[in-house]
Amino acid sequence: MATSAQVKTILLVDDNQLFLKMLSQAFKKSGIECITAESGKQALEILTSTLPDAILSDYEMPSMNGMEFRQQLMADDTFKDIPFIFLTYIIDNDLMVKGLNLQAVDYVIKDTPVNVIVSKINNLIYTVQKQQELSKSELKKAAEALNVKSIPTKTPEIDGFDIDFWHRPYQDIPGGDFIDFINANERYTFIVLGDIMGKKWMAWFFTFSFLSYIRAAIRFCVLSRDYSVGSILQKVNDVICLDDVLKDILSSLSLLMIDNETLIITYAGAGDLPLLHFEADTSTLKQISGDGLLLGLFAGNEYTEQQITLAKNDQLLIFTDGMIDFSDDTGKKSDYNTFARNIDLMLNKKYSFKRIQDELFEPSLAVQVDDCSIINIRKTM
Amino acid sequence: MIKIIKDTENHLLIEIEVSEANLNNSDLFKTQVIQLLDRHEKTVIIDFNQVEYIDSSFLGALVAILKHAIGMKLDIILVGLKSDVHDLLKLIRLDKVFKIFGSYNEAINV
Repeated sequence: MATSAQVKTILLVDDNQLFLKMLSQAFKKSGIECITAESGKQALEILTSTLPDAILSDYEMPSMNGMEFRQQLMADDTFKDIPFIFLTYIIDNDLMVKGLNLQAVDYVIKDTPVNVIVSKINNLIYTVQKQQELSKSELKKAAEALNVKSIPTKTPEIDGFDIDFWHRPYQDIPGGDFIDFINANERYTFIVLGDIMGKKWMAWFFTFSFLSYIRAAIRFCVLSRDYSVGSILQKVNDVICLDDVLKDILSSLSLLMIDNETLIITYAGAGDLPLLHFEADTSTLKQISGDGLLLGLFAGNEYTEQQITLAKNDQLLIFTDGMIDFSDDTGKKSDYNTFARNIDLMLNKKYSFKRIQDELFEPSLAVQVDDCSIINIRKTM
Repeated sequence: MIKIIKDTENHLLIEIEVSEANLNNSDLFKTQVIQLLDRHEKTVIIDFNQVEYIDSSFLGALVAILKHAIGMKLDIILVGLKSDVHDLLKLIRLDKVFKIFGSYNEAINV
């Protein structure tokens, strides 16, 4: 699943229809998508459903001029950071200072040849994009230096099981998925797979708060000999609901505990997708559904735990919603059943976990639209 | 992003005007619906008939709106969900927390 190169979009605002048409054709020729608006009011309406990479707006327009339009954008957190350029016939230094005070990135005089305007905007979008990439790479470096990880680097070794996982963040920016393997003591190993609702940095930031609470709850429960994944989830949920910083932040969670002695797995889920259990003997794939609500939704939620017994060569797959999202010519969709069918076919053909990954994420098949994480547990004896 | 279709004595009917409800529009959606709740103090019925895809950011926004409404002792009702979107809500058990109906008429006749 390769991420598609995103087409750049600009919003052109001008009351002169002819100028709009001419400029938008020139932009389209250079590979930039154009949305046009004939007034500031119409532009504001368009912005409620589409966020462009840059806005190019005329200064002189009836009812709401370019400056007033810019002021409205500045008052809105969602719009104020979209690079904004004024188009004008007027060469007036006072006006320019006013505009630049409103953080307009630049002025373009309308008499400038169209190809020069297009190059100028192209350069601007490119520069902004490069700066954003630079900031992201700095942030990634800082996170690595701090050694904060929401995805482990290796899998646990438990006699009787082969455990494997695969994770890919959306657009290669750390996101809301998190995985952890915790050897609580010699007998019990916990497997954690969560997904903070949201994408990219904001979601990634909260994975650490959630992981800290989950790790703490597991340790406390083990110390008090309460080996119940249901009760751990309940504690995590209650404490998250009390945390003001995490207000409105929700997460799904699949929590599994492997008993190294009995080889029995217990599971409880919070708003997670049903797990898939492949029975090797009968070659059938079964769903295992948790019953708990998302973490952070309401205090006092209860989470029922269930035992999962795997026979030799059975497999258990735990995954986040990014795995069931696809994008094709008709748009994006979430389709659990198609995902399960694909897995069923591949397991029946005895594909290795590596081969399944390759098949599922072959670039031609689909375009990744969210973080993707999957854990595979295979019973070996 | 959203359009008010009907404003009755005890509820507002609004429609989501995008086909992809995602990270790019989830914050705006949350702000707008919460403003409507605060201003009108009525149950909000959200018509999803134009929505083909919903991502987790948007689901998060929807839940934040529900929590805000519950705090005001109001309801959020979802109608017109496409089967893919409805299936996703059921899979992650959000059908247990939202009132969901096939259509606006069904919702108001209960």
